[in-house]
Amino acid sequence: MDEEHTAGYKEPCAVCAAVDWGISDEGRFYCRSCHNVIERTKEVVDPNFNPGNSRVTAMGRGSRTKRPERGRQWVLCEGFQFILRSQADALVRLGVSPRFKDEVLCELWRSFLQKSRQAYASNPVRPTSVGGPGSDVDSDGAAESTANSSETDGDSCNQSIAGSSSNWSEFSGSLDAVSYLSGSMRTSRQSLLSMKRTLALIHVALVWSREPLTLSDLLRLVNDGHVPYVNAHQELPDEMKLRGKDALLFRVQSIPSHRVVHRDAQALILLLQLPVFPPISRQSLLHPSLLSLRYLMDANLPDELHPWVCRLMERAGMADQTLYTFHLEGCPSLPRYDVQTAALIIVTMKLLFGLDDRTEWELSHQACDQDATGTMFSLRRWFRVVQAALTRAQQRRNQEVAGKQWAAQKLLHPDSQKTSVVLKTKRVTEQVQVCFEKLSGRPVSARRGDPSSFRFFWGDGDSADGPSLHQKKLDGVLTLKDGVPTPSNSTYWHPALSASQMCSRLYSDVEATLPRTFVWLLQLFCFLLDVRPAYLFQEVLKVETRVVNGNSRKRSRKTKTKT
Amino acid sequence: MDDIEAVIVMDDIERELGRDEYSEGDADISDDMSSKRTNSKLPVVNPRHVETQRTSSFQKSTRTCLGLIREALLHHSWQEAAEYMACFAQRLEESRNGPVVQEKELIWRISTEILHHHPNSKMEDYNNIYERMKHSGFKNYLMISLEHSFHLLLNGRVKDARHQLSVAESWRHGNESAIQHKKTELIHAYKGLLDYVMWCDKKSTINHAEYPDRLHNQDMNNLFRAASVNLKAILRSPGVWDPFILSYVEMLEYYDDHEEALRVLNDYAYDNKYPPNPNAHVYLYQYLQRQNAPDKKLMKVLKVLCELVPSHELMLEYSRLLLKSEKRTNIQKALGIILEMLDFACWRSSLDTWKLLEAIIKKLQSQCDWKDSVAGAMAARKDWWPALHFTRFHASRDSEENPALKKVKASLTQILLPGLMLKYTA
Repeated sequence: MDEEHTAGYKEPCAVCAAVDWGISDEGRFYCRSCHNVIERTKEVVDPNFNPGNSRVTAMGRGSRTKRPERGRQWVLCEGFQFILRSQADALVRLGVSPRFKDEVLCELWRSFLQKSRQAYASNPVRPTSVGGPGSDVDSDGAAESTANSSETDGDSCNQSIAGSSSNWSEFSGSLDAVSYLSGSMRTSRQSLLSMKRTLALIHVALVWSREPLTLSDLLRLVNDGHVPYVNAHQELPDEMKLRGKDALLFRVQSIPSHRVVHRDAQALILLLQLPVFPPISRQSLLHPSLLSLRYLMDANLPDELHPWVCRLMERAGMADQTLYTFHLEGCPSLPRYDVQTAALIIVTMKLLFGLDDRTEWELSHQACDQDATGTMFSLRRWFRVVQAALTRAQQRRNQEVAGKQWAAQKLLHPDSQKTSVVLKTKRVTEQVQVCFEKLSGRPVSARRGDPSSFRFFWGDGDSADGPSLHQKKLDGVLTLKDGVPTPSNSTYWHPALSASQMCSRLYSDVEATLPRTFVWLLQLFCFLLDVRPAYLFQEVLKVETRVVNGNSRKRSRKTKTKT
Repeated sequence: MDDIEAVIVMDDIERELGRDEYSEGDADISDDMSSKRTNSKLPVVNPRHVETQRTSSFQKSTRTCLGLIREALLHHSWQEAAEYMACFAQRLEESRNGPVVQEKELIWRISTEILHHHPNSKMEDYNNIYERMKHSGFKNYLMISLEHSFHLLLNGRVKDARHQLSVAESWRHGNESAIQHKKTELIHAYKGLLDYVMWCDKKSTINHAEYPDRLHNQDMNNLFRAASVNLKAILRSPGVWDPFILSYVEMLEYYDDHEEALRVLNDYAYDNKYPPNPNAHVYLYQYLQRQNAPDKKLMKVLKVLCELVPSHELMLEYSRLLLKSEKRTNIQKALGIILEMLDFACWRSSLDTWKLLEAIIKKLQSQCDWKDSVAGAMAARKDWWPALHFTRFHASRDSEENPALKKVKASLTQILLPGLMLKYTA
């Protein structure tokens, strides 16, 4: 503990010239090698100091409230720009190529600002004194910002803003927060900025630059704190003061779900009217043929499963790159790479193993009986290994969720009047936290792990989650038929597949009728991707529809029903 | 403090209001709210919190944390509980509408529970937590103050405890202090009690050589006056105030104010507004005994007690008094009382009781119709008294443990239960 408090003090001791300071019981600095005590004392935060207990005994004279420091005037899009930049920087630090940030994200951001008329336009939408967005202030300042988006170019936007400063310090730190939140702005919802939007923007940029970071990966990085999101507003420079209504926009209490961000990204693409995306071919890491390798490895499934996944993909007509490349006519919905790939893997497993709570265990018994050398893949063994690891991982995740700290160092609250109350509760919280940290000996924030693409680590070391089954052979479930390996399992079950039914059924109702192994497999992949089971289940149904009912795409090729 | 498990009620009062449109309002098809309509007649347990799409991740975090704390508490893993409590502290802070009162109460109670059991907890930690939680809201202020002072008292810091209560006494918070006036009364009462404790301390330290001056010790007098104001006040309201009344009476006795003491005790015992309390009569009896009151008065008090608690140990006293009085009806009554006492298994092996019974019987035998009176008293009892007192098992046990008792009982068998062949033989 001493190091913490003496870290800043690096003067050599007068007696022995060593730099090795400690803190004595009275709080004075002493040299650890010669026990020489010096005059310097540690600053003490007295936990028993209780400002609320004493009464006010003196009345102040005159106005005590100084005018708060103004900082400079700023608009919301500047703030979001900073946040977006810090998020992109974090991603680049984690290994994404800088092209993503410099070329793709910047362009998207600029085009977004332009389309939503917040900047880079000839008549940007600007707030007037009280908050109506209607009056257009002619500003050429915005159009002439030629500086790179990655630097601060907010000043040029500001110079044209004149008379709106009267109300700005009352409600919010930024100039247009009040009008932003007012009703008339909100009717055109697509053009609004929010913290959620930043994630959607980043996702679109990642897809465009064909980075192998899927949406679930991105959300996981956000959750673990490797990409700033929860208290990103702390990274804004000091002169941009955040106050009042800004809190409603910048303060987050939730990490958005996969579904929500995906929908937002879709809306964004439509708003921006982007052209055809760069194609996601089979060589690209976002394509299921390569992405499935990653998921197979994470789920500890044998590598031999991969060719079967690819075959299924082709049967279902899902290998085509046009399916994965966003195109307004051809493929009008942004594909969900991660969820689709997981669905493909699940359907493959269903084909090979049956997954009806009976077939797979019989096959597994047979495989064990025939297997003398231990090279065969046994579903039973796999289930036990993975189930144990899954339970532990879920517990760990639970603990991480419980321990996650949401409070920011800088105070931000929608109601400026309540600042004193908020400050007081903040002090109380800190005191309670410090008290228990001291008691338990473990600081609250020491919980972050290293970022990784994989949830599990299969291998032989001590830190592995279990033994690796990647090298096992699938011979137990395959038979030779006309010299071609085919699955021994000859039956396939699926719930009623029809487009209209899919939407109206609740997964929670159907779930009771599904085989337990299948449900467990869904849960495994849901844990890997951090999505809800219903979401994944829908995707599985979609894949099955394509497989069973045939591909209704351009090449209307009838797919044979499996035998 | 062990009702933590029962007390944890987490109503999710905070819903994000419509004001905030930036919530995650996605109409999830897979709604987790299971509103299954069943035809079951069993009462449906409402889930403690229903997770809807409007639950923010922050709320989820804190709820998970609370669940983990609860698990840790139930398993008595105090270290873990302390770790999670540090994480949970943020619950006080963030929220659209501010933390709810229940959360503060939760944090207060759970924190103190953890501190009670954790091996490293110190007095400063307690003080810290109490002070912080006291001032974090006004609904709990008085109760936390009271608990804080109890804790200080239990650790021997009487002056600090008293100080806490005097601070709490002078707390005013608009309407709130009016609404919580009952708690304020309680605080006044305990302050009085603490004044009494200090008075006792003072009393024990004064030199006995100063005996003539004992009534003029200034500090003690002040304490006495302060205490009596509060104690008198609380004794006016209906309730069970045993420790308070004892301390008050003790002080009054010391200062020879017997009138007041008697008045207070009588009110406590006989006034109907107080809930029926056998102890009240016991205290009155003990006081009268100390004041050497005449037997008649003592008997009057004990009579009421007899009706309330026939198995009370003072019934022995009562019987003795009745026996002493030599009146015929009294002796009869004494017999009845002793038999009633022996109806309870707790007096089964009490030598004194049996001996007294023997004495009463002997006295009775001087009258001519004693057999009838005994038979009359035992009429209702002869079915089950043999099994209660006179089995072979009792015989063997008594001869091992208490031969004198056996002798007494054996001599009484034929008198009490004539004609029955009992296995209880000498």
